[in-house]
Amino acid sequence: MTATLCLTLFAPLAGALILALGGRALPRAASGLLACLAVGASLAGAILSWAQLKDGQELAVHLFNWFEAGGLRVSATLLYNPLCAAMTTMVAFVSLIIHVHSLYFMRDDDGWVRYFCYLNLFVFFMQSIAMADDLVFLFMGWEGVGFCSFSLIGFWYAEPKNVLAGNKAFLVTRIGDVAFLGALAVLFSATGDLSIQHLSGNAPVMAAGTLTLVGLLLLVAATGKSAQLPLLVWLPDAMAGPSPVSALIHAATMVTAGVYLLIRTFPVLLHADAVALQAVAVVGALTAFVAACSALVQHDIKRVLAWSTISQVGYMFLGVGAGDPSGSFFHLLVHAFFKSLLFMVAGIIIQALDEEHDIFRMGARVRGLVPGAALAFFCGAAALAGLPPFAGYFSKGRILENALNMAQTGQGVWIFVWAAGTLTALLTAVYSFRVFLLAFTGRPAQPPETGTEKTPAAMLHVLWPLALLAVTAGLMDLPAHFAHLVGVPAQWLDHMTGLVPAAPHGAEWTGTVAEGLDAGLAVLGLVVALALYGPWREHRAPAPDRGVARFLLNGWGLDALYMNGVARPYVRAASRVWQNVEDRLVDAAALGLGSLALRAGGRLSKWGIERLSNYLLWLLLGMVAMLVVMAAIGIR
Amino acid sequence: MTLYAVLFYALAAVTLFCTLVAVTRRVLVHAVVWMVGSLLGTALIFLLLGAPLLAGFEVIIYAGAIMVLFLFAIMLMAQEPNEPPEVRSMVRRRLRARMFWPTVWALAGIIACMALISFDPTNTTPLTAGRVSPRALGAWVFGNAWPAVEIVSLLLFAALAGARYLGLPLVRSDHPEKMAGSLDMDQPPCAVNPEDQP
Amino acid sequence: MIVPLEHVLLFAAALFFIGLVTVVSRRNLIMILLGVEVMLNAAGVVFVAAALRWWDIAGQGMVLFIMGVAAAEIAVGLTLVFRVWRRTRSLNPDSLKTLKD
Repeated sequence: MTATLCLTLFAPLAGALILALGGRALPRAASGLLACLAVGASLAGAILSWAQLKDGQELAVHLFNWFEAGGLRVSATLLYNPLCAAMTTMVAFVSLIIHVHSLYFMRDDDGWVRYFCYLNLFVFFMQSIAMADDLVFLFMGWEGVGFCSFSLIGFWYAEPKNVLAGNKAFLVTRIGDVAFLGALAVLFSATGDLSIQHLSGNAPVMAAGTLTLVGLLLLVAATGKSAQLPLLVWLPDAMAGPSPVSALIHAATMVTAGVYLLIRTFPVLLHADAVALQAVAVVGALTAFVAACSALVQHDIKRVLAWSTISQVGYMFLGVGAGDPSGSFFHLLVHAFFKSLLFMVAGIIIQALDEEHDIFRMGARVRGLVPGAALAFFCGAAALAGLPPFAGYFSKGRILENALNMAQTGQGVWIFVWAAGTLTALLTAVYSFRVFLLAFTGRPAQPPETGTEKTPAAMLHVLWPLALLAVTAGLMDLPAHFAHLVGVPAQWLDHMTGLVPAAPHGAEWTGTVAEGLDAGLAVLGLVVALALYGPWREHRAPAPDRGVARFLLNGWGLDALYMNGVARPYVRAASRVWQNVEDRLVDAAALGLGSLALRAGGRLSKWGIERLSNYLLWLLLGMVAMLVVMAAIGIR
Repeated sequence: MTLYAVLFYALAAVTLFCTLVAVTRRVLVHAVVWMVGSLLGTALIFLLLGAPLLAGFEVIIYAGAIMVLFLFAIMLMAQEPNEPPEVRSMVRRRLRARMFWPTVWALAGIIACMALISFDPTNTTPLTAGRVSPRALGAWVFGNAWPAVEIVSLLLFAALAGARYLGLPLVRSDHPEKMAGSLDMDQPPCAVNPEDQP
Repeated sequence: MIVPLEHVLLFAAALFFIGLVTVVSRRNLIMILLGVEVMLNAAGVVFVAAALRWWDIAGQGMVLFIMGVAAAEIAVGLTLVFRVWRRTRSLNPDSLKTLKD
């Protein structure tokens, strides 16, 4: 078991190291294939490990001691349980598809080796997040994915704005990382132990105050990594990277790391004060709503998907907050499948249209250019919208059902959460069909500006497994009545992970009402989208510079807020300090010392060490001085 | 107060006076002559302190040979001051100014020396009169200290050779425009007195 | 009893410092050498006084050697001064500044 786990974890690292050290010596095809093989090995390891895992078993595997300092012992330990097994398999599977897709997508790029090296490295770090037991080891993976995402977002570094986007991502997630460190500090001072396993075991007996503090700090850390309010500003700009990167990092893996952390440490939240879970849910619901509104008005296809990611991860937070980590995880898996599919298809379209991102310049001609893309995109969009029987319907529906259960307790917070979630579901349906219709059907609102490029068909065909999963993944966690219809075990995922929802079971009608409502909202959204953006209508490009549209377009002004409220004052204060402290104080002191030495030397040299007569004078003086000293000593 | 003491103090005063005058002269020949006076005074002090041979040598070697050598040098390099009278007082004043601080320091040095020898007027070491006959001195020098005699002889020889060599005729680098091979003494004395230079 | 030793030493010190001040403050090479002679002379006086104090003839012997060395030194010294004068036509020690940077 340990061997397969190590394979899962270290195969991508080995791939990255080989590529880093000798990738340029290999022919292009070989290095690309090596990268895919590394991830394939990781996938094999994940599947094999899962196969060896018995039902409900939890395994702590100690790999090696890392360091020890001041009473803190950090070691690379893995906590392998069914949840972890599913996560590692999903990460490896989606990564493999993305790697193979990248073989075609990046076929003309010069940074081939660098790309695959970072991609492999990213997979390694993500797997360590997925499997880690020791929180410091997890933090290493946390930071590692942050670094890799910075490198990959700014992959085309020749363009300054890409690098700036990478910087932004790194810096904003850093804020969350500070909270992570705070949580580690609190935990260490409270228990002296940073293992998730021990934490989960001790949570029922620990002080509620400590648990609440840790929970809230972990929440802040997760909002940074998962791009929730208030740290979501980096994700839309991160679309500067290649589309497969967006698919991997911002759909399937990194943004889900925050949620995954919360799911893994769910006992902390569970046994903390109620405010912790409420905070999680509120953050999730609010973010989902805000992001959905923003997605509604975007006209860059990747930005729509970025805001959509933020919104869907908000749903996952909502799920955790509503006390249903398993449902949240279900949505995590489903979202990984359909969102990465959507990103990669978008990437294909963009490449086929020679870097055209604006959906108002696309249209039905795209269908002719890339056959099958429309169908794949539709699978993803429908899953996103939650149209039954696509997977999204079941996963999102599950979360909204739990929200409704919590709302029935009558607390205002939960009613707000449920309302926001439901409204967002409608908006999600509208914007996902909007983007599909605008991008793939009808006449483009604005004339196309760019030419077209022939793309290899294999790029798309690699994605069909994801499309299939987007349609059928709902089977993983069907509610009982549907499961009977299809003949699949009900709530399979719940039972497998052993994470039973802690939400109170509401009335019997809750489930039916939720299902009906969700289906209805999805259909309503489709209808509205058709009405507004149907192929027969004359598409009009909105004027994005006025009023509400502009506000929503820029993410409710958060970017501007941070820029004016945080970044600019900081830069001003820093330059003030630089001028006054560094220039005037430090540099002046250093330079002043130097010039002082120079002047003193010059003054001394003017005491005439040039002339013979002066030498003699100094001789006399020295002699007299010596005599006086000797006399003084002698007298005493 | 014995005769010896009176003589000593008188001679000491005379010697010091002569030396002081000698070192403040601007005309070099005057300085040398006053110096001879000082050396004669020192010789008499030697006599008083019981060193008749040394007194004789002081006169013969110091006053007789060394000062004469000085005179020869002055003759060769004569640069007697011949500045106009109005400059003379200024030059004198400058000399006195230059001597001021060193004099101060010298006084400090003297005081330090007095402290070093624990000068206590009430408790002094008396010197009893004595006399070393020339014969005794000679016997000691050539008996106990004959290596020193040899070394000093060698030194004198080296000085002789060095003086001869250094006094060789002109080298080209001295005066490129002159031919080598002759002592050039046709140069008129320099109009500028070296003391006037800053 | 002739005179206290300390008085003789004081006289010698005064002589010595006169010579030293001459060396230091006169800007004429020949006067400098004269000052050196004065200093040597003073040293000789000290030695004679010491010989009388400790009733040791070696003090006077030393004076003999000092005189010899002084003679040698003056010979060479004056020759060097002569060379300097030939090169710079000046007896001012400050005229020797070729090595100055």
